[in-house]
This record gives sequence, C-alpha cells and structure tokens, in this order.
Amino acid sequence: MNLLEIKGLTIHYAMRANTVHAVNNVSLVIEPGQTLGLVGETGAGKTTTARGIMRLIQTPPGKIVSGEILFEGVDLLKISSAEMRSIRGKSISMIFQDPMSALNPILTVGEQIAEVIHLHEKCSKREAEERSREMLEMVGIRPERAGEYPHQFSGGMKQRVVIAIALACSPKLLIADEPTTALDVTIQAQVLDMMRELKDKLNTSMLLITHDLGVVAETCDAVAIMYAGEIVEYGSLERLFHNPKHPYTLGLFGSIPSLDKDTDRLNPIRGLMPDPSALPKGCKFRERCDYACDECRKEEQSLREIEPGHTVRCMRVAGGVLNG
Amino acid sequence: MVIPIMLGVVIIVFSLSFLAPGDPVSTALGEGYTQEQYDAQAAYMGLDKSYIEQLVSYLVNLVTKFDLGKSYFSIIPIETELAARFPVSAMLGLFGIALTVLIGIPLGIFSAIKQYSVLDYGLTAIAMIMAAIPGFVLSILCVVLFGVQLRWLPLVGLDTPKHWILPVATSAFPGIAGMMRMTRTTMLEVIRQDYISTARSKGLKENVIIVKHALKNCLIPLVTIIGGSVAMVLSGSIIVENIFSIRGIGTYMYSGISSSDYPVVMAGVLVISFVVCIVNLLVDILYAFIDPRIKTIYGTRMTNRKKPAVLPGAASEVV
Amino acid sequence: MHGHLVKERKELDLRALENMAVKKTLWQDVLARFLKNKSGIAGFVIVVIMILLILFAPLLTRFDYDAQSFPDRFLYPSSLHPFGTDNFGRDLFTRMLYGGRISFMIAIIATFISAVIGTIFGSAAGYFGGVVDTIISRFLDIMMAIPGLLLAIAISAVLGPGPINTAFALSIGGIAMSARIIRATVMAIKTNEYIEAAKATGSRNFRIIRKHILPNTIAPLIVNSTMSIGGSIMGIAGLSFIGLGVKPPTPEWGSILNVGRDYIRDFWPMTVFPALFIMLTIFGFNLLGDALRDALDPRLKD
Repeated sequence: MNLLEIKGLTIHYAMRANTVHAVNNVSLVIEPGQTLGLVGETGAGKTTTARGIMRLIQTPPGKIVSGEILFEGVDLLKISSAEMRSIRGKSISMIFQDPMSALNPILTVGEQIAEVIHLHEKCSKREAEERSREMLEMVGIRPERAGEYPHQFSGGMKQRVVIAIALACSPKLLIADEPTTALDVTIQAQVLDMMRELKDKLNTSMLLITHDLGVVAETCDAVAIMYAGEIVEYGSLERLFHNPKHPYTLGLFGSIPSLDKDTDRLNPIRGLMPDPSALPKGCKFRERCDYACDECRKEEQSLREIEPGHTVRCMRVAGGVLNG
Repeated sequence: MVIPIMLGVVIIVFSLSFLAPGDPVSTALGEGYTQEQYDAQAAYMGLDKSYIEQLVSYLVNLVTKFDLGKSYFSIIPIETELAARFPVSAMLGLFGIALTVLIGIPLGIFSAIKQYSVLDYGLTAIAMIMAAIPGFVLSILCVVLFGVQLRWLPLVGLDTPKHWILPVATSAFPGIAGMMRMTRTTMLEVIRQDYISTARSKGLKENVIIVKHALKNCLIPLVTIIGGSVAMVLSGSIIVENIFSIRGIGTYMYSGISSSDYPVVMAGVLVISFVVCIVNLLVDILYAFIDPRIKTIYGTRMTNRKKPAVLPGAASEVV
Repeated sequence: MHGHLVKERKELDLRALENMAVKKTLWQDVLARFLKNKSGIAGFVIVVIMILLILFAPLLTRFDYDAQSFPDRFLYPSSLHPFGTDNFGRDLFTRMLYGGRISFMIAIIATFISAVIGTIFGSAAGYFGGVVDTIISRFLDIMMAIPGLLLAIAISAVLGPGPINTAFALSIGGIAMSARIIRATVMAIKTNEYIEAAKATGSRNFRIIRKHILPNTIAPLIVNSTMSIGGSIMGIAGLSFIGLGVKPPTPEWGSILNVGRDYIRDFWPMTVFPALFIMLTIFGFNLLGDALRDALDPRLKD
C-alpha cells in the first residue's frame, strides 16, 4: 500500500477582495521509503500543499475545498483534530523553510526536542531528555549543548536541531519544505547528506519541496513539477531528468547554467507566474510557453501518461505534437 | 547610564524653578523692607548667587542631604513632607499598576487568540472608548455615579479597604486600554512566528502552544512598558488623590500648584521622575533575567572573565 | 523565426509590469485603504463635525461666551439654552463651542511646534549619526524621563496660564516622541541602497534629506501628529482642570469641568457636557489616527 496518496486536493484562501486558488486538484503518491521531490517556483503552491497534508492551513482564510489525503489508507481530512494531533510529530513530521526562526528562542534546544518525544512516546521526562540528547548526537551536535538556547547556534546547526525534532519519534513521512534554501551552499551539502543518512537509517519517506533541481537529482526517487497550483509533470527521477517533456520543465532545465558550455546570458523563462487569484482559463502556462496555440487557451489541460510512470499536463506534448 | 539622565532631569527642573516668576525674597519679607534687609534675606536664602552657583549648591544639597529646597509658604522642609506622603502614593500606584496589568494583559491575550471574533472586536472597541476617557473625567464620573447616586462606595480618604476601590480603579483605568492594545499586538506577532508553526507540527494542543510557547515570548517585551505605566499612574495621582482627598504626593503638588509654591511643584516633579527612572532601570535588569538571549550575553561575559582559555567547543560554533 | 517572436513578447511583458506599478500612486492606495476602514471614517466624521461646530460658533449661537446673567443661573437644558447655563448664567452651549476653539487652537499649535522641532532634531540625529546623534539622543532621553504631564505642569507653572503658554508647555513633551520616530525612520531609510546610490552620484547631504528621506517620514509624522492632537486636548483639559492652562472666564472644557465639580451633586450639566465633548473629541482623533496608521502601513495591522 502506498504510504501517502493525495487525490484531487484543492485549497483556496478567501481574502477580502478575491479568492486565491493556491492548490488546484493536486494528486501525488509516495511509497514507503521513497523520496518525492516537489519542484516549482515561489508561489506555485508547494508549501500550501505540504501544510495541507499536515492540516496546518490557517482557517480562516484558508480552506481545504476538496480532495482526499490518504495516509496508510486513512483519509486525514476526515479524522478528528485529536487524531490529527497524534499523527503530527509522530507519524508525519514537517520541517519549515527558515531555520533562523523555526525554534522558540526562550526554550533550550534540548527542551524543544524532548517536548515532542514526551508528547508522543510513553516515557518519563527524564527519558525524553535522554533521548533528546541522543537525537542531538545523531544530527552531529554535541549532546552537552542540550541546555543551550537557539540563538547560540548558527543557521546550519539550528536546521539540524529542527531535523532532530522532526525525526525524534521516527516518523514514517517527513515533509521538508526547502530545508536547505536558507543555508550556505557548503552547509547545504552537509545537511542534505545528514538527512539522507538518517532517512536511510530510519527508512523514512520524504516529501522534499525545493526549487533546486540539483538537490532533487541528489536525493529524490520521484519528481513532481508544480506550477500555478497544479502538477504539470510527474514521474520517476530517471524519466524526468532524461526525458523532460512539459515546456515548463524544459524551461527549468534550460535555465540551469552549464559548466561545460560557454554562454554569455542565462536563459530564464520569460514572464511571470499568473496571479493565483485570477488564474487564466485553459493551460496556466500558456502566456510563457513558446509552443502555445489556440487550443491551449480553451481547454483545461489534464495529466496524460506519455510513458509508463511519467505523466504530463500538456496537450501538445501528450498529443504527440511536440517532441522535446 | 541612568545617572547622567537623572542629572539632566535635575538640571532641567532646577532651571525651571530658577526661571519661575515671583520673588521669593520679597514674599518672605512681606511688607516694607529696606535694601539691606532684602540683601540679607537674599543671602540667607542663597538667592544672591549666580545660576551656576545655585545649581551646584542645589545638587550638592540634594545628593548629600536629600534637601529638595524650601517651600515658599511652609516651614516644613519639602523632603520631610514628601517622605511622609510617599508611602501612600506608592501603595496607590502599586495597586493601580497591578490592576492595569491584571486586567489589561489577559484581555489583550484573549483578543489576540480570538482575532476577528466578536470578542476581539468588542474588546478593541471598549479599549478605544477607554482610551478617550481622561483620568480626571473618569474620577468625576465615578464620584457622581458610585458615590453620590448609588452611594455604594466611600469617597474620602483611605480608612477602610472599601475606600481604596475607587482611587485604585480610577488610577488603573487610563492605562488599561494601552496595555490591552500592546498585549494584543505583541501576541498577534508572536502567534505568527515560525516557531509556533513548528510547535503545531509537533502535534501539541493549542492551549499548550499558547501557554508554553506563545505566552512567555509575549510577556517579555511587555515588561518594558511598565515604566510608562508607572509614569502615567504617578502623574495621574495629582488628580486622583485630589478628588478622593488622599494625603499623598499628588495633593501636595496640587496645593503647590494652586498657591504657586514653585519649589514644591518642582520637587514633586523631580521625585516622580526619579521614581520612573529607577523603575525603568529595574525593568531593564529584570529583562536581562527573563530573556535567555540577553541572559547568555551576560553569562558568557562573566565566565570569560574567570576562565583564561578559550572553550574547546567554541570552534564548532562556526558551522 | 522563433527568436524575434520571443523578443517581442519580452518587451510587452516589461511594459505590462511598468503599467501596473504606475497605475496606483501611493496616496491613492492609502486613500483606498482608509476608506475601507469603518472606524476611521467614523473618527473622521466626528472630527469634522467638531471642527465645523467650533468654526461656525458665531452662527450657531447668539450668546456671548462671557455674557453673565444672574437670574438665569443653573438652568437645565431647554430650547433656549440647549446645554443649560452655568453658575454665572452663561450659556453652556456657547461656552462649549468657544471652548472648543481654544482647545483646538492650542492643540494644533502645540502639535505643530513639537512636530517641527522634533523633525529637525530627529532627522539630524538619524542622518548624521555619530556625536550629533549621541548628544541629541541623550537630550531626548532626559526629556522622556520626565512624564509628559508633569513636564507640562512644571513649564505651565513657570510660564503661567494662558493659551500660548499652554501650547508651549504641551509642545515640549511631544518633541521627544516626534524626534524619536523621525530618527528611527531616517535611520532605516539611510541604510537603504538608494541613498547610497544617490550619494554615489554626488548629491549633497541636504538634498538627499529633502528629496529622499523627508517624504518617507511624512507618513509616521501624520499618524503621530493626529494622535498627538488628541493627547494635547486631553492635556489642555487636564491642565485647566488643575488650575493651570486656561483660566476662567476664558471658556475651556477642562476648567468648566473643574468649576462644575463643586456643583456636582445638584447640577449635572456643568460636568456632563464638558466631559462628553472632551471624550468625544479625543475618541474621534484616536480613531482617525488609528485608521491612518493602518492605511499608511497595512503590514502593521495584524
């Protein structure tokens, strides 16, 4: 059975002037032990999707309009708040984007890790503290520092603490929202290595949200490309990297500077993502797409399989009109 | 840091006193005096010297003898009078602040937690109305309502606990709106922080999150406005004590104002300013104790003074 | 063939972006936000009504504010005297209106003085930094150490009663607050890159201050000044109440309230009407100031 199955998730934010369609009919699957990369620009809806899984959408103004989120067969959107709370931190954990502000400044790091252990595992405070020190060691921080406060750590170390908190109860699924974006490149590599190690050790599945294709290449088994609240391309790592099809995906790959070639200018994708409160009809990418045609404007695009395990939301590609 | 400020306050207050109209020498002499008598009296009162000399002697007297000057009309030294009246005003002030804090902060927190609800809008509206009612207006309205019409509460003096109710309530009232508002703003900011999201993602109950994670972060910055509240309560005492006929610093200052007894007025201003300064100093010190970020700065300074070598773990701080 | 189409599209996109930026100027935005705020509009209405009442006072009442009439003392509200008469038989409605003139005039003068002086000190401290900043900041600290009302009392006691003196006394306390705000704003903007850019292109200090920094300080200054007028009115009433400020027979809400205190048990109009006017006016200005603050920086709202 799949560990996580999202079916047709739609999330809106009802603001005063208009409605923001943040996530539109998103479907994803994560198998046990698998890492799925969720890639897209800022504003594509990745964080909202992640928060939706954890049911941490702020309501109001947010609202999960429709869909199912099946975790080990159970629809998370239908269980009670108490049941959801018992899942958070224990079966599904999340780490947020900015490590600098993710820790409570007035509690020691040891306390913050012990808190989640004490909450979910049946153990005494002393045992929780003991295990929190073990977690610190596991993420490469000296356990004696458990009594120190977050401001006494650097950004990279803070992120390690955050990871320690997330993995303390050995969750089955870890949602990592751009865990390394706020860190220096060198620290980035260290943190990613550490995450991979721990993930393998504990056999945790991961939903890794990022806009960095390099990170995806290093850590993910499958990839979903997200644009304007929709999944536009979805497949295994190999398929997607060797045979990217959607014009947006092509644009993303094309904008990566190459080490071998000698170029003067970068190739950004022209234009901007559409305003999520005023999404256009038909294909959401057509304003920026070099291959767009009239049909793209009229019809809502759907995901179509172009090879086993690889789907694309583009009628021109799926229809065989374009061939990369 | 505090001392130069207090020094500056003394200079300003003294200068104001110096510039005050009226001639204390002739007032003291009364009717018909000669130039010699005038000069002698002036010398006796120390008023024949230059501004600087008078300032210096004022300062010296203040620091060594707590001498706050001589009243124009009363033989009793100002400092004696103030010392006698201080405890009452201090008690009133203390209770007033306590009430402001005990009412203002919880209401502000509820308002923030239940943002956009009827409770929030209601409390905010009430706070706005409260902020528009000056202390003296409220005191009079209370006197009319509770003392005269309903006859529930006594109006003069502080003999029984019941006597304290109206004075303390009217002292506290003006500050409550500000406290509520400040608390609400701070709490809203705190709730928006990332570490609250982290706490939620751990699966903690909302109450636990509010109490354990949000509350203390919210209270720490509020401590800094206690100084302002103290200032407000003490300045308001001039009016409150007057209306309820309480024998404190406020009524002393009021009588000084009415009779143009400038030394008394200035001394009162000086004393209250001093108290506010000291309270602010205490608040700063308290802040260092309750905020771990500040506490560790002082902690490392202390340990660094004792230990000569660099701690071995320090190198790992770099990553 | 493909290349030139792409280029054309790029230019169109840029122009679209520029249009979006130019369309709504800053002030139109602010106005739009302000108009959405119901309490702000209420505050504005209250303030406008007050101003109209006191401006058109001579038209609204035919009594002189100091016309005494012993047989008519302590009359309750009637059609002839909408608010009744006071202990000297003077029409209270008239005294309220003319008292409002005094209060507003003093409040506006006081706020203006403290805003101007505060801006001078604050921008000097913020822009030049260093020794200038230290000296000015220490001075401001000393000013702020003395509670505002007490400082006003002390200065009032020295200068004596009267409208101009009271305005001056109240303005001093407000200087420190204005200066602080301006200083903070100036320092925040100073570190902005576009100031460095202006300096790099050779603009002289004064020009930089005038052209780049001051416009950005207008917003917090407006908010502070609006709240300050409300506070000043409270201060004027308070000072008059304790015998400083404005003395009778000049009408002033606080001094009328003070006199009314003696008759509190038997004659309510002399306390209720001044109290109402004071509270309503302050309330209006507070609402207005709040709404202005929200309109000028919506981020602060939540």
